[in-house]
Amino acid sequence: MAINYKKELEKAAKGMILVHRPDVLIKMIVRTIVQKARVRHAGILLHDQDKDTYILTVSRGPTGLKIPAGFCRVDKDNPLIRYLSNPSRYNQLGPFLLVRDNLKRLLRRRLLPETKKLAKDILYQMEIFGAQVCIPSFFRQELLGVLFLGDKNNKRPFKQEELDFFFALASDAAMALQNARLFQGLQLQLERNERLFLSTTKALAGAIEAKDHYTRGHTERVTQLSFILGEKLLQKKFSGMTTDFLSELRIAGLLHDIGKIGVPESILNKNGELSDEERRIIQEHPIIGARIIEPIAELSFVAKGVKYHHERYDGRGYPEGLQGDGIPLIAAIIAVADCFDAMTSDRPYRQALTRQQAIEEMLAKKGSQFHPQLVDVFVELYQEGRF
Amino acid sequence: MKTLLIVDDEADVREFAANFFRKRKFKVITANSGKEALQEISQNRPDLVLLDIKMGDIDGIEALRRIRQLDNKIKVIMVTGKKPEEEDASEHCRKLGALEYIHKPLQLDELERIVLNQLIE
Repeated sequence: MAINYKKELEKAAKGMILVHRPDVLIKMIVRTIVQKARVRHAGILLHDQDKDTYILTVSRGPTGLKIPAGFCRVDKDNPLIRYLSNPSRYNQLGPFLLVRDNLKRLLRRRLLPETKKLAKDILYQMEIFGAQVCIPSFFRQELLGVLFLGDKNNKRPFKQEELDFFFALASDAAMALQNARLFQGLQLQLERNERLFLSTTKALAGAIEAKDHYTRGHTERVTQLSFILGEKLLQKKFSGMTTDFLSELRIAGLLHDIGKIGVPESILNKNGELSDEERRIIQEHPIIGARIIEPIAELSFVAKGVKYHHERYDGRGYPEGLQGDGIPLIAAIIAVADCFDAMTSDRPYRQALTRQQAIEEMLAKKGSQFHPQLVDVFVELYQEGRF
Repeated sequence: MKTLLIVDDEADVREFAANFFRKRKFKVITANSGKEALQEISQNRPDLVLLDIKMGDIDGIEALRRIRQLDNKIKVIMVTGKKPEEEDASEHCRKLGALEYIHKPLQLDELERIVLNQLIE
């Protein structure tokens, strides 16, 4: 006789592999079983890797026992766990899976004292959880969890065919669960790496501020201004802007002046106008910066932002005299933010402009020094009071 | 028949624990707060109290202190949801006369054993 809910559960099991959150997945498994197999309740004791114990993760059912999540645990030395962990012992208590009614029947027979004790201990554990059936699920020979089912709503016994099927289902679920855990672990690792990378970058950017007294806070402000300009461009669906671009822009902002590490402090902090030779040296900083970053293959895009942030739209910038759209967008954005912040900051040889004056200056140089569309968007942000 | 008072602000926990001990032939009463617990104790004099520490109005430890003022003999077992490394009030509770201090998630067979041990005369 076929089991009528088999197909639906198989379909559900296949869908599970797509769920990447272990907690969601476990709830889904239990809910599906309760609904489709029509049992009073079902639950999962799940191995907790940190504490090396089995925690009742979810238990639910419309009519049966409802044990609050996280309320109970079962340690490894529990008879139920000990028995299910070791499939070679399964024949001790009869055919394969643990079924409460079968255990009761077994106990009416003459048994070896140790078998009797084992059966009694396990029966007691099953009664605690209101379990009619306990199904182990394994991953690489490790007992990953125990699925337990209460009585069927119609009180009929489970057929062997059903039990075999639940065992297969529990294995699929274990696989999906392990998958979800790995995915979650990977995700966390990835986030950690990203945070680590960002703070490393910030530390590196801090090195230049320690050396160049006049740029204190400059890096942070340029990064921020570039970022909001980038965000606005993304909103406006500016060609070439993506969210990935934005995160690279943030890094490029932090590192845009990193090449100043290679410029003597006497020049960086000079009080008064620079000689031609000194100017030539300071103008090398974009190339030095790019050279510092270039060995990191993943930052090749960022390196472009560093290398070309002193290019001008009309081609009269440095180091290569790139022109118009020949200047990488990432560099053109930083150029706008960088100049604005420089103009509105005090320098030894001149006083800061007001922000309004700086904006006017930028409008005057739109299309000569700066990318015209970027200036328009930047001014728009200024008028919105975004900086 | 021994009477057990279960104090927890989570309804699911009260319901489950009450059923668990009723099946084991206890008379069970429940309370959802420290205040309610004190009322139940003065009216019904239970033999043993299972007292959750984290509750809304007065927490379990304060409730324990007031129970002691009310009745010096009543047996109390504290239940905590905190991990031992986060907060360990076990010494404090023992000084206030709690007999046991157990952590969630708890082992049901152990819980039963502890309760039975305390109620054997």
